[in-house]
Amino acid sequence: MNLNFLSPIFLFGLLGIAIPILIHLMTRRQQTRIRFSAVYLLLQSKKRAVKKSTPNRLLLLLIRCLGILLLSLALAHPIFSFSGPADLLPDSPSASVFILDDSYSMGFRSEEGTVFNQAVSRLLKPVGKIPAKSVYSIVLASSSTRLLQDWTEDPTLAAKLLKTSKPSFETTSIGKAVTKAIQLLESATQKDKRIYIFTDLDKNGWREDEFSDADLANKRYPVTLVDFSSLGTGSNLAAVQEAEVSQEFLTNSRVIRVKSKVANLMEDRAINELDASLSINGKQQSEGTLKLAAGEEVKKEFTFPLKGNEPIEGVVEIPDDALGADNKRFFFFQPDQKIKVLVVDGDPKTVAHQRETFYLENALNPFTVALSNIEPTISTLEQLQVRDLFDFSAVMLCNVRDLPFDYERQLEKYVRQGGALFIALGDEIDPKFYNEKMGNLLPVSIKSLHQVGRSDEPFRLDIKKSAHPVMQVFKSKSLEEMKSIRFNSLYSVEPRENRKFTVPLKFTNQYPAVVETDVGKGKVVLYVSSVDRDWNNFPIQPTFLPWIQRWVKYSAKGLESIQNKNLLVGETFEWKKSAADNFLFVESPEGKITQLAGTTYDETFTPGVYRLFKKPNEKKENFAPAETPESKVIPKLPENAIPAGTFTVNVDTTESVAEKISEEEVQKLLGNLQVQFSSGEDSHQNADPSSGTPLATPFLLMVAGMLLWEGFMVRRE
Amino acid sequence: MEEKETFSYDPEVLARISALKLRALNLVEGLLSGNHRSRHKGSSVEFAEYKDYSPGDEIRHIDWKVVGKTDKYHVKQFEQSTNLKCTLLLDCSGSMGYVSPKQSGMIKMDYARTLAASISCLLLKQFDAVGLTLFNDKVMHYIPPRSKTSHLQHILHGLSTIEPQGVTRVDQVIEKLVERLKSRGMLVLISDLFAREDNIQRNLKLLVSRGLEVVLFHVLHPDEVSLPFEGDIIFESLEDDPQIGLDPQDIREEYQKAVQTQIESYRSLCLGLGVDYVFLETTTPLDQALSYYLLKRQSLTKV
Repeated sequence: MNLNFLSPIFLFGLLGIAIPILIHLMTRRQQTRIRFSAVYLLLQSKKRAVKKSTPNRLLLLLIRCLGILLLSLALAHPIFSFSGPADLLPDSPSASVFILDDSYSMGFRSEEGTVFNQAVSRLLKPVGKIPAKSVYSIVLASSSTRLLQDWTEDPTLAAKLLKTSKPSFETTSIGKAVTKAIQLLESATQKDKRIYIFTDLDKNGWREDEFSDADLANKRYPVTLVDFSSLGTGSNLAAVQEAEVSQEFLTNSRVIRVKSKVANLMEDRAINELDASLSINGKQQSEGTLKLAAGEEVKKEFTFPLKGNEPIEGVVEIPDDALGADNKRFFFFQPDQKIKVLVVDGDPKTVAHQRETFYLENALNPFTVALSNIEPTISTLEQLQVRDLFDFSAVMLCNVRDLPFDYERQLEKYVRQGGALFIALGDEIDPKFYNEKMGNLLPVSIKSLHQVGRSDEPFRLDIKKSAHPVMQVFKSKSLEEMKSIRFNSLYSVEPRENRKFTVPLKFTNQYPAVVETDVGKGKVVLYVSSVDRDWNNFPIQPTFLPWIQRWVKYSAKGLESIQNKNLLVGETFEWKKSAADNFLFVESPEGKITQLAGTTYDETFTPGVYRLFKKPNEKKENFAPAETPESKVIPKLPENAIPAGTFTVNVDTTESVAEKISEEEVQKLLGNLQVQFSSGEDSHQNADPSSGTPLATPFLLMVAGMLLWEGFMVRRE
Repeated sequence: MEEKETFSYDPEVLARISALKLRALNLVEGLLSGNHRSRHKGSSVEFAEYKDYSPGDEIRHIDWKVVGKTDKYHVKQFEQSTNLKCTLLLDCSGSMGYVSPKQSGMIKMDYARTLAASISCLLLKQFDAVGLTLFNDKVMHYIPPRSKTSHLQHILHGLSTIEPQGVTRVDQVIEKLVERLKSRGMLVLISDLFAREDNIQRNLKLLVSRGLEVVLFHVLHPDEVSLPFEGDIIFESLEDDPQIGLDPQDIREEYQKAVQTQIESYRSLCLGLGVDYVFLETTTPLDQALSYYLLKRQSLTKV
């Protein structure tokens, strides 16, 4: 039998019992004394009158005290249960690992705040009464799999740690937690070893691959799984799954477009009106109402004019439902950003105008950076090794024969993460290299070189009205001009198998002039002729400048994804290696400032916008990583730290999906571990002392009864 | 005289005596003045029979009218009214000292005193002998019966000096007293009868069996009958009972019933034994009590 109080603070109300006692004592002093003759008759009468007599003041006092006692107890929310925690933990010495699911789905609203709260209080009961010589440890089962408490016998440690804990914003990873638990149990000396899993059974958290390290086939530990999935109240209606921001920089308008995706998470119910709102820099910018069929995902696009060049921190929100963590999506955008382009010259010459990239460089940056927002950096093939690709939004390979050994892998990684690759061919290139090594990037293979003599009819572009973002701005006059461009040499290409690509521009003989494809987050563009005047006269045409600029801007649209990363909770942020020369700082959404030891930051546990700062390391010679072996939290940014970027962290919405894993699947995943299922709701009545029979209502009824009785007695007096 | 030596001249006592005397005389005079004529017409010098004169007889008793008619000397013989010896038994136990907290009514002891004084006065006026015994659990003061008028002073003094104290033990006192009492006397018992032992019945029987005429004045203060107190009260005993704290309201009904039962039981007991039982509350005017006594006395002499 067990009696617990959910709000023990109200037990202080028991002190109130002093009040009726004081009243009793004070009124007692007012008693009069009378010297009386027939006291023996009074005694006799009193004995006879016992049954009929009204309850005396002592009884009144008792009632009042009892009333206050019951009221205090009722307010303290007592929970009574017959069975204690003994049924969860054995009485004999044992080693128990408690796996507590602290993923954000455990933040589901419930009667006691959140499901996580209920799991915590459920967990604290057996821990609080852990038998002597038994040890326990606590593992958090969100994706970062933290060991909250190593082996200990002290029941108070868990209470201290857990009472302030909240569900994280991460996804569930039971597999990793079980692996961790088994590692812990291997080190325990007790014979009786057990695992307890407190989870909401989100299917998302039970990925098979995560169990592979645990070597479950040889383990025989009993596992008790306490299921809290049924304790949530309300439903998780919808989630904001995406929020992508872009500036329409191929037009002259300064309009910011935020594309968001909102999903109805309920399979059986449509949402007729769901308000979605967009807030920019803390102010609500616009809102709209969505209509979502059951299980439907709807894209909602917000646009708003851009004022100034200030960076935009925004959030797309939908109203709170039972699970709040997935109702917001943060994004960040730096408008009118310079597009840094790395131009690799495959045919460098000492005379400027003979270089392969002479026309290109001038076209990209005719006067100053401010006009075009493109900042080209010319590099030779030899210099390529020392360049950090991730400093640039686009890489242009111009007439490059081949790449340094294994460099194509780096290029591929760069493109997959959002970089743009523009390849222009020329007389220097080695088609064999391109065909063999660049297969992952190029959707076509280079077939053969086609040349015509100076006097012959050259190749011409087949210009049509096109809706392609690059081509759509060219009006009829410009198009006519483009038709007159003479191409003397070009490579023909043939598609590779199973590769998707588009041909935005063709020659009149239907050979592709430009081939465009998406690789990962990035874009690869192949131009089959040269960007200097060797093979054509395009570079000296007036249309070359807008044409090449637009191709760069178009292909480098993945810019933000490189400089402003959008991470999921728990993912590690990696700074460019070149930044390691500086002191680096990260300011989290809560305002916590961390000075990094290296170039990685892995405390991305809260969704929101993280700001990066750097400070030049003046004593560079003396700087040794050993000085700051670990990242440290500092109270204030140094004064000369300058902003160095921003990245956003959002929750992984796969955790929002309400699909639960079945008991059979759990048993299958856990292999030879004997799983015993216990419902968090069943324990409401039986095993769980934290959720036994609530006594508040009967106590309050008794208080009411006491008040009635008391009033009756006072009236009689 | 022996009694004189016991006189104290405490002015307070004297003042009380004179007040008591005044009260008693006032009462008795008032009563007698109403009864005077009837008493003279009555039996105090009632003719009984004639007897032949023989020397030694008082000459003033010769009926001269008869001598004139018959020339024989006859002496009138009158029925001599019996010379009554009355003993007043006054309960002076602690319970008699009850003073109402509301100061209402007469103090029980004073009432009893005045009653005793008045009876003494009345009796002495009729040349009856009056004695006084004051008792609680034992005899505290004993004044033997005398019929001298001046005896009143002794009685009044005895009444005035006594203060109520101790517990009531009527049975013990009567057992001792019975020896001293001559038969065919009168015994007036004035008490509140708040005694826990149930031997009064036996004692009364004893007294009656010895030919004593017993009058029982049961004196109670109205508070003792109705228990009119309010609130939370600790009752302290005037005798040796333990104190008790209670709300009188709770037991009022029971108490009143108990008192009435007691009164009724005494009344029926006395009726059975031929004892005169007079229940008096201290608010009852004393002349009522006395007139009752006189009526009683009258009926006695008539028999």
